[in-house]
This record gives sequence, C-alpha cells and structure tokens, in this order.
Amino acid sequence: MWALTQIIAGGTESTAQLLWVDALDIGFEFRIDDLALLMTLLVSGIGTLVFINATGYFSADAGGGTRFPATLLAFSTSMLGLVWADSIWTLFIFWEATSVTSFLLVGHKNTYADARNSARRALVITGAGGLVLLAGLLILAEQAGTSTISEMGAVSGAAATTAAVLVMIGAATKSAQFPFHVWLPGAMAAPTPVSAYLHSATMVKAGVLLVAILSPVFTDVAAWKWTGVAFGIASMLWGAIGALRQNDAKLILAWGTVSQLGLLITLFSLGSAKANFAGMSLLLAHAVFKAPLFLVVGEVDVRTGTRDINELSGLRRSMPIAFGVAVVAGLSMAGVPPLLGFPAKEAAIEAALGLSGADRAIALPTIVGGAVLTVAYTTRFLIGTFGGSGSEATEVAERRLPMSIATVSLGALSVLGYVFAPAATSLIRAAAIESNAKSEVYELIRWPGLKTAFVISVIVVVLGAMLGWFVAQRSVRVPDTIGAENADGFVDGILNWAPRITAAIQHGSLPVYLATMCLAMVVATIPLVLDVETGHLVRWDSAAQLALSIIMVAAALAGAFVGSRLGATLTLGAVGICMSGLFVVHGAPDLALTQLVVETVIVVGFVVGLGALTARFPESTDSWRGIRLVLSLLGGAGVAIALASAGATPAGSPPIDALTNGAVDVGGGKNIVNVILTDLRALDTLGEVVVLATVTAGVLALARVVREEGRVDGVEPRPGGLMISTPSPTVETAIRIASPFAVVLAAYLFFAGHNNPGGGFAAGLVLGSVVILRTVAGLPRRTKPRRLVTVGTLIAAIVALVPIVAGDPFLDMYVASIDVPVFGKIKSGSALVFDLGVTLIVVGLITASIDGLSAITERVVSEARRTLTSEAAS
Amino acid sequence: MSVALLFAIAGLTAVGIYLITSRNLSRIILGFVLLGHAAVLGLVTAGGPPGEAPIAGASDQPIANPLPQALALTAIVISFGLTLFMLALAGRQQTLSGSDLVEDDLEDRRLAARAERAAALADLAEQAEERDEQHEEST
Repeated sequence: MWALTQIIAGGTESTAQLLWVDALDIGFEFRIDDLALLMTLLVSGIGTLVFINATGYFSADAGGGTRFPATLLAFSTSMLGLVWADSIWTLFIFWEATSVTSFLLVGHKNTYADARNSARRALVITGAGGLVLLAGLLILAEQAGTSTISEMGAVSGAAATTAAVLVMIGAATKSAQFPFHVWLPGAMAAPTPVSAYLHSATMVKAGVLLVAILSPVFTDVAAWKWTGVAFGIASMLWGAIGALRQNDAKLILAWGTVSQLGLLITLFSLGSAKANFAGMSLLLAHAVFKAPLFLVVGEVDVRTGTRDINELSGLRRSMPIAFGVAVVAGLSMAGVPPLLGFPAKEAAIEAALGLSGADRAIALPTIVGGAVLTVAYTTRFLIGTFGGSGSEATEVAERRLPMSIATVSLGALSVLGYVFAPAATSLIRAAAIESNAKSEVYELIRWPGLKTAFVISVIVVVLGAMLGWFVAQRSVRVPDTIGAENADGFVDGILNWAPRITAAIQHGSLPVYLATMCLAMVVATIPLVLDVETGHLVRWDSAAQLALSIIMVAAALAGAFVGSRLGATLTLGAVGICMSGLFVVHGAPDLALTQLVVETVIVVGFVVGLGALTARFPESTDSWRGIRLVLSLLGGAGVAIALASAGATPAGSPPIDALTNGAVDVGGGKNIVNVILTDLRALDTLGEVVVLATVTAGVLALARVVREEGRVDGVEPRPGGLMISTPSPTVETAIRIASPFAVVLAAYLFFAGHNNPGGGFAAGLVLGSVVILRTVAGLPRRTKPRRLVTVGTLIAAIVALVPIVAGDPFLDMYVASIDVPVFGKIKSGSALVFDLGVTLIVVGLITASIDGLSAITERVVSEARRTLTSEAAS
Repeated sequence: MSVALLFAIAGLTAVGIYLITSRNLSRIILGFVLLGHAAVLGLVTAGGPPGEAPIAGASDQPIANPLPQALALTAIVISFGLTLFMLALAGRQQTLSGSDLVEDDLEDRRLAARAERAAALADLAEQAEERDEQHEEST
C-alpha cells in the first residue's frame, strides 16, 4: 500500500505539471483557463501532499488496503474533470462523481454505523443539490442558447431568475451553506486526510467555483446576487458560532470551513470586481491554511488517540512541529501578517468598504463580524489543542515522517504566499479576470499602512483574540446539530416508506389491478364529455336493433348475477346470438356468421371446461362490490361518451368506393370484407393466424402437462370419454348423419367467401364444430391439432413468401379464373390458398382446445371419483 | 350513430368490467368475452351507419362500411382464441389449487407483510424511546 500510494501521488503530481500550459483545450468539453488552472493547482498540489500524509495516517495494519488510495484517486480525477469542464453536461457528471466518491470516502470506516450514516447524509444532501443544479443548468442552457459555459452570454428574465436560484441552491448544497451545511460536520467521520482534501480544500470549493464561473452569466439577475449573499452571510455567521461551540478539534475546523465558504460565496455573489478578487485570494489562502490545520489535527488524533480539546494538554511541547504549523496556518486563517491570510482578508474588508448603499450596509458589518468570530475560534482552537500545563500532558506516540512532510510543506505555503505576494497576485489575478475582467487592477498588498481596512483588521484581531481566549476558559456544552436529524430522518423516511408504497401499489391482487386500469380509462374519457354532440345521434336504426340491444344487455346482466355456472354460460350464448343479430341488422353478414359459430364453440368450450368446476359459483365474499358496481357504470358511460364524441367529429367519409373498386379490380372478389382480409390487408390476417397458432401451442402444452400428471398406472385416459357419461345411440347417429352435411357447408362457405358471405374463418369454425360434436359423442376422428396448425401456418407463410421469390411485393396475391362445379366460374387465386391456411389453423385451434379442456376436466373428475371411492371403502 | 347501439356497448362494457374485477376466474373470462363483444360492436358502430351487406354489385342501396367489419372479424377471431386459452388456464389452475379463484400474488403479499413488520418494529422502537425519555424525566 505504501508503494502504491507513492506511485499514485507521483502520478498526480506529474499531471499537474503537464497542465502548466495556458488555456489548453484538451477535449471537446474541457477548457482550462486561468481559474481552472488555479483550481488544478490546488487539487493536484494538495492532493499530492494529502497522499503523502495518508501514508503516515494509516498505519500498516490499519486496513482498507488499496481501497482508500483508489477511491481518493477516483475523487481527484472527478474533481479535475469538474474543474476543467466547459459544458454543463461534463460539469454535472463530474459534479455528481465527486458526490459519489465523497460518499465512499466519508464512509471509509464502513464498519461504524456513524460513518455510514454521515456518508449517507452527505450523499443525500449533495445528490439532491446536484439534481436541483441540473434543473438550473438546463434552464440556463436553454436561455443562453448553448451548453458550453465559456460561450454563454449574460441572461435575464424570469427563466434566468429561476435558473439562477436553482444553480445557487445546487452550489450551496455542495459548498455546505446554511441550512445545507449539516452534512459537512458529519463528513468528519472520514479519515482526516480526506477531510483536509475534500472537505476543506477541493470538493466543497466546487460550489464556490461554480458561483465564480457563472457570475458573469447571471450578472443581470438580481436574485442571483441576493440568494448567494443570503446563503453566504448566514453560513459565515452560523458556521463561526458553531465552531465556537464544538469541543472536537476537527469539528471546530469543519464549522470554520462552513463559515469560510460562506464568506467566499458572499464575495463571489456580490459581483463587484474587488470582491471577486478578494474571493479568489481567499480561495487560495483558505485552501493553503485549512488543509494543514486538518492534517495537524489528524496527526494529533493518530498520536494521542483523541481530538477532544478538553482532554488534550501540553501538546505544544510534545508536538513542536505540528504546533508550529498549526500556529502559522491558524494565524493565516485569523488574518495576521506576515501570512497569506492577511492580505486576503484585507482585500475582503477593502471590498466591503468599496461597496455602496445597501450592499455595503449588509456586507461590511457581517464580513467584519465573521472575521472577529474567525479569530475567536482560531484562538480557541490553538489554545484548546496545544495549550495546557505540562504536568497533565497527554501521552504522545512517535512522530511519523510522512505526516510532518505534508503538514510542514502546506504550512510553509502560507508564509511563501505572503513573501512572494507578487507571484501569488499574478496567479490570483489571472484567475479573477476569468470571472470579472475588471479585477485586473487589484493586487495582494503586504503592508497597507494605516488605512481604514487595516485599522478594522487590527480591531478584529484584538476583539477576536479576546473573545476566543474568553470562550477557551470555560467548558462548552456541545449543542445538537440542528438539521442533521432532519436529513437523516428524511433518508430513514424514504427507506421506511419505500416498502410500504411498494406494498400498497404492487399489492398482488389481480382484481384491484384491473380496477385501476378501468379507472384510468374512465378518467381518460372525462375530457371527451365536452365533445359530445347530439346532432349525429339517432334513437335507433331499426326496431330490431333496439330489441336486440335490450335483450343482449339483459342477458349480460343475468349472466353477471346468476349463481349457476351453466346458467352464466348459457347467457353468454344468448349475448353472442344477439351480437350476431345486430351484425345482420347492421349489414355485416360475415361478422354475423363468424360470431354465431364462434359463440357456439365458446359455449361448448365453457361447458367442457366447467366440468372440472363446481356447479355453482362459490359464495361471493368480496367486500368491495359497491366500488365494482360504480366503476362498471362509470366505465360503460365512459365508453359510450367516447364513442359519441368520436362520432361527432368524423375524420372524413369512409373509403367505401375505393375499397369496393379495390376488391373487384385487385382482389378479383365481390365480398369486400373477405378481400380485405385475404388480399388488401392480408398482413393483418397473417399476424392473426400466428396468434392463433401460438394460442394452440399454449393450450396443447397445458393439456400435455395435465395429462402426464394425471396418467394413472401408465394408462392415458381416452380423450372425450367423459363428455357423455352414458353413450347415447340417438345422439351418435344424429351426429354421424349431420357431420357430412356440416363438412359440405364448410366447403361452401370456404369457396363462396370470395364473392358472398363466408370465408376461411367461418369454414374453419364450422369444421371445428364438427370435430367438437364427434369428440363429445366419443366418435372416432382423425384430426391431429398439431399437424393441422403446422400445415396451416406453412401454407399461409408460403403464400406470403412466394411473391418475394417471384420478384413481387410480400403477400402479393395472384388472381386467376377457376372453374368450380356448382359455383361456376370464379375469379380467385393465391388468396384462396391463403384462406385455406387460415381454415386449417382455426380447426387446429378448436381441436386442441377441446382436447385440452376435456383432458383437464377428466383429470379433475377422475381424481374426485377416486377420492369418493377410497372414502367409501374406508 | 344509434343510441340503441351505444346503450348496448355501454351495457356490455359495464357488465364486463364488473365481471373482470371479480375473484372468480370463470367470471373473469365471461367478463373478458363481454368486453370483447363491446369492443367489436364499438368498432362497427364507429364505422358509420348501417347499410346493405358489402358485396360489390349486389344492391343499389349504399353498403355498410366494410373496413371496420374486416377489423372486427379479426378481433372476433383473436378474442375467440384468447378465450379458449384462458379457459385452459382456468382448468390448469383448478388442477393445481382445487378452485378457480384468483389468489393474490404470493411474493407481493410477502413483501407487503415485510413492510408491515418493519413499520411495526419502528413503531415499537419509537414507543420504547418515548418510554425511556419519560422514565428519565421522572427520575
């Protein structure tokens, strides 16, 4: 792990060097300007030192293996991607990637519930913020007309305001702004190098960076400024107060970070060039002083086993190097010369002084107040951690070299930044120009002389030190983190409610599912009520139609409420016959014919299938009959309304003439419906017969399972043997006589179909009825459903495919004149062959169904009989 | 458009919905058949007024629209096939469970039971917490 971390650290460093090239375009979505460069420097530079520090932080047996460096490296990559991103897409992806890697790093000690909780909280808040940000960015891209950030011009208007607020909220969650800051103190459950890196120097700066980048775009949006300033000031003050109320050294720093980030957001939102420059200076200074402070706390933690400032004592003697770094970095944080923090803070106060009107009235007191509090918690941090008399000094373990290297290097930067202020200035100024061109006139001033800002600074330091010293003398009761429970409760709530919602929606009850669908249908018809017109409605087309409609509905109602299964089946037959009659009245003989035969077969199917069931329906026990009734009535009314409104606005007149001519000229037949089915729209029919073939296969499979299970002593029961329990010579004879006639009828329908009512379906259904009759009577028959369906499908497929071989379109039908006895000369052709396939499939389906249903019934009945016999025997 | 036909369609739909929301599989199949009828009748009704049978050259009177009839014929045969398949399924259900009632999905019920248990546990924990707090306050 040692070596690996070192290698990774080296890799990060070299990447950083490679990027010291101005405005390098390394990809479609990436752009590295001076601001990105500054951030890159922070990410890579601090990253390297953090990696070095981590090798000391984790002792060889600390566990975690390669997981930690791998995750940390993944974070580095995401952060660099975020910094370089130049399109909102890239930005968002890497933004979320840093949230996820942060989640993994915070939860690094995954055996502790506390760490897991904190990680989850951080992810929920930053993740939710990410979504808000995405919404804002999308609106922004829409307004600006481009998704490339560097090409965006200033936007304004209501949509821009929405975008500004959303983006600002997203930035506030990432940069731990009040009231979203609750995740940051929790994130201190992470190993300290992670806290130093992610939660002070880099990731939490992402929000600040975003505000800086987008400030020019939102410069005309007032809401942008005020949302940002509100977030910033609230966080700056609340974070600093929070820092004074903590006893854990690391938490003091974390709350301090919230405060500092608030100051940064405030400065970047204010929009003035001076504030912008001050923000950039602080951005750099904060990274450079906060990271070593965290690392020092990490070292203290590792070497003493505690971070509680009430327990720590005398460390200034036992840990001199760490103490030195802490003093330097702490003073820089407090804004004391000769350290980088001083000119940065000076610039911030200058910027506040430079404002006018309401801006100044708000910004100046709060920034100064925040500065006082900052000095106060810094003082308390230093006294608490390193102070105390030597007599009760805390035991300290041996120093670890890698940790010291990192802390000293980082700590030295605060000094170097001050000493080489011009160099730092050029770096900061270049970055500041990216977000506000007017920032170029400012610089970091090492010693300003007796100016107002300097006087304020002095007062701030003195006041702050006194306050800090005062607070350090008393023991503080650590308050509950307000809001943390809310965030956790939110997540717990989701986890609690998810299974409940699933249980409520996916309850597993078929009737309720179906009722829900029907309800949706009813709701969908509501708007159609407005379209209903009565002009096109007639009471009835004929008296027969009215009578049939009434009888049919009455029969259906009877079927719904009758207790006997056989009775219900018979009402079904009645409904079917009424349907058939309505078709006749309407002028649809083909439909009437088909419906009649279909109904017969279905009723027989029901009767055969019902043999397995009790004669009466079980007593209804359902408690929601009322709801079902209401839903049914609404459903019926809804369908009627939908139809009535559809009839009110016809899309055009029916293409009756075109279809008639097409039937005669193209299909060579007079029965238009039949020609449509077998020629003009033969593809539909082909699909339909495939469905029928599939259904047949399904029924056959079900029947086979039942038959194999029910095989008694290896003997398969004779199909249909139970249909009529005592063979009846009368019935047998009648069926024997009727069969040939029925076959002739089927043949007639088949050939006549092209010019008169009839066709393949009807013929198939009639033939199927013959099969049923013979099966029921126990007469022998030679039809094999599987073979019928296979041959039928093959015929249909060949007819469909032959035209392709011949170079004609798929399913093109050939017409020829054929002389058929009895019918005379008819014009037909391949359509007739196609219809033959349909007929065979229909016969196969009926045969398979009757066989299957009787097999199932037989099984149930014979089992019941066996049970009865055995009971009687015992 | 004939109100009589609309009435017929509405009646069939209503009875169909009532039946398919039942727990009894054979009633559901009955309802399915009725809904199929309603749909076919709806197709034909929407296609225009009645007329002579659509046989070319058979009559001078205007013929009924043949296009919905072709669609309806397909629909009739398809729902016929599906009905037979559902009957077979009902029979299979009978051999497996001894009745043709539609039971709730077992896995879904199990999930719901788990949710209820978890909720009950959470409530218990909450109550215990409150009790502890009260205890602390009283001492």
